Amino acid sequence: MRGELVNWLSPQNNTPTLPSPFKGEGLSGGKRKTMETLAFQGLVGLSLAMYLWLIAAGLTIVFGVLGILNFAHGSLFMLGAYFAFTFYGLLGINFWLSILLSVIGVGLVGLVMERFFLRFIYHLDVAYQLLLTFGFILIFDDAVKMIWGGVFMIPPMPDFFTGAISIFGRLFPVYNLFIIGAGIGVAIALWLILERTWWGRIIRASASDREMASAIGVNIPILFTAVFMFGAALAALGGALSTPVRVVAPGIGGAIIIQAFVVTVIGGLGNLKGAFAGAVIVGVLTAYGILLFPIFELFIIFVVMAVVLLVKPEGLFGG
Amino acid sequence: MKRVTGILGVALSLVFILSGAVSAADLPGVIKIGGQGVTSGAHADYGRQMIMGATLAIDEINAAGGILGSKLEMKFMDSELKPAVAVKNARYMVQEWGAHLLFGVDSSGVCMAVGPVLPELDRIHIFCHASTEKLTENLVYKKGIKNIFRISVPVYQDSIVAAMIFKDFPEIKRWAGINCDYGYGRTSWALFKATMKKYRPDVEFVAEVWAPFWTGDFSPHLSAVMAKKPDAIFSTPWAGEAVMLLRQALLLGVFDQIQVWWQAMGGSVDALEGLAREVKGNKFKGKLWATARYIHNWPDTPDNKAFIKKYLKRWARYPNYSAETSYSAIYVFKAAIEKTKSLETAKLIKAIEGMRIKCPGGERYFRPEDHQAVYTVPAGKVIHDPAYPLPVLGELRVIPAEDYYRKPPFPPVK
Repeated sequence: MRGELVNWLSPQNNTPTLPSPFKGEGLSGGKRKTMETLAFQGLVGLSLAMYLWLIAAGLTIVFGVLGILNFAHGSLFMLGAYFAFTFYGLLGINFWLSILLSVIGVGLVGLVMERFFLRFIYHLDVAYQLLLTFGFILIFDDAVKMIWGGVFMIPPMPDFFTGAISIFGRLFPVYNLFIIGAGIGVAIALWLILERTWWGRIIRASASDREMASAIGVNIPILFTAVFMFGAALAALGGALSTPVRVVAPGIGGAIIIQAFVVTVIGGLGNLKGAFAGAVIVGVLTAYGILLFPIFELFIIFVVMAVVLLVKPEGLFGG
Repeated sequence: MKRVTGILGVALSLVFILSGAVSAADLPGVIKIGGQGVTSGAHADYGRQMIMGATLAIDEINAAGGILGSKLEMKFMDSELKPAVAVKNARYMVQEWGAHLLFGVDSSGVCMAVGPVLPELDRIHIFCHASTEKLTENLVYKKGIKNIFRISVPVYQDSIVAAMIFKDFPEIKRWAGINCDYGYGRTSWALFKATMKKYRPDVEFVAEVWAPFWTGDFSPHLSAVMAKKPDAIFSTPWAGEAVMLLRQALLLGVFDQIQVWWQAMGGSVDALEGLAREVKGNKFKGKLWATARYIHNWPDTPDNKAFIKKYLKRWARYPNYSAETSYSAIYVFKAAIEKTKSLETAKLIKAIEGMRIKCPGGERYFRPEDHQAVYTVPAGKVIHDPAYPLPVLGELRVIPAEDYYRKPPFPPVK
């Protein structure tokens, strides 16, 4: 990943038309070009995967500990984007502070959802969870329409992110690189929290046996609230980080939750490693699908999901 | 006896209400106009502009006494870009709300679903945005669904105009397509390729990628296309998605490597507003070209200037093409009703077929064969002009509509 930082305004960046990667070259040169094209596309897919990972991580943690499959998790991603847009795009607050405020804000929304709604249906059939959380999608979508209007928003891009780095002879956006770094950073932080801290041990204990954890003195209601808030905050982080490059509009939550479900089904619901692997698989395959099979690119992901369901229904890392 | 007539009277009026029928000779006190378009999500500005354009026309007409004394009333619903929702909306507006006339609709899939139910609803529908050529070529011309009219220029604008401009760029030989993964994108790309091939057999189409609605991240599409080193890119995603696509293209340095980017509906007001910062900073290096189905800075006529002035005063925004087409659609209704003095569908159809009407975007002629309004819209470079608060199309290329509209009998696109 060594490379010089170039800005797309600088003149030395006016690459003259290079020979095509697929023709008019020696076989070895052509092969190398093809490998570079594939590697570059994989890197693009990896940045795509990181948004999915941030969503799927929260979804899977909440399911693992609370046993709730939160349909409205995508809406929390959407709220994260709207909050970040409001702080950064409308109020002109510092980009990093805007992200932090958005994550905290959506965490508080999560607090309300868990404490005043979800808490009352833990003992009920799973169908009630789906109905309630689906209801939240409609409520959040309409609330967003009422507060921000139905029209899409285009937040400004912070200037320090507008450059690109030369990788494999092509320009890769600094922002995508930053997203990859942020996704991996969150993965490491989550692993450290869960494996190395007291809180992590409590969470893992409650996930594997709720009653036993309760018997040895874990305050389950508070733990549930905290975990749900944490999951919501992760979704918000994904949404907030997406704002410089993605449209902010009502409905983006519904669009991304479907992909997040595919990720968790492939990786194994309730399993963090699975969520990470599933996100990388879906992101990278999507990117390769677009490059190699542009007509079937959507289809490929669902084929992979179907195969996983047939061969290992609990997911690659589940069970 | 009196009681029987009373019951009969009530029954008759119920039938009257249910059928929504209007006696041939006179008009109801209120003429109800049902509109729909997308008013939520990344494409929502199109529906909003429809509401603003139609409202302006309706208020003008009502202030001047209505149509032959009848006032106009509008109801506007969100199609959500979903065919099933749009059909439900159309049925609701006609059968329950009592709409006499219908207009609006964005997106190919939606118009192709609404078109076929119109004979059953017995209403005319002026489509103001949806642009697949199949609406007028197949449903009207080939299948004979006469209830359909379209006031906005179809994909001929997005594709054939582009080919007729860029055929004269001999150095551009390698084209790549980034297109919407639905009817509109597919048909635009096919028409562009067919037309371009006719003029320039030496041109190659080196890559094509497809993006469905709700594509948040276009970077995989862009990097896949750029791997084939195209000279130029033909792109059809629209509204917020077009803005994000172009912004991501800048991040990937695409504009350093290509000579031309054709963003079909990049001349749309919402896209121009979204790109204002980048255009002002000359990030696209004069390589971004676009068109629309009407642009506010053309034609330079008193009619158009008056329209812009009224619109700015009322809404404090520049009208997008869906605003101009909706505004004009209301005036087409007015002209047709004044001619027939009736709301009968068959008579209205006859009145609009062959109609010539002055609109802000210039004179439109409704071809009787396919019910498509013929009028010219230029294309140009997206530029910053200090006279306007948003980017505009400049260095305009004006190709007469007769030269780029497909004509009956509409040979199949190869």
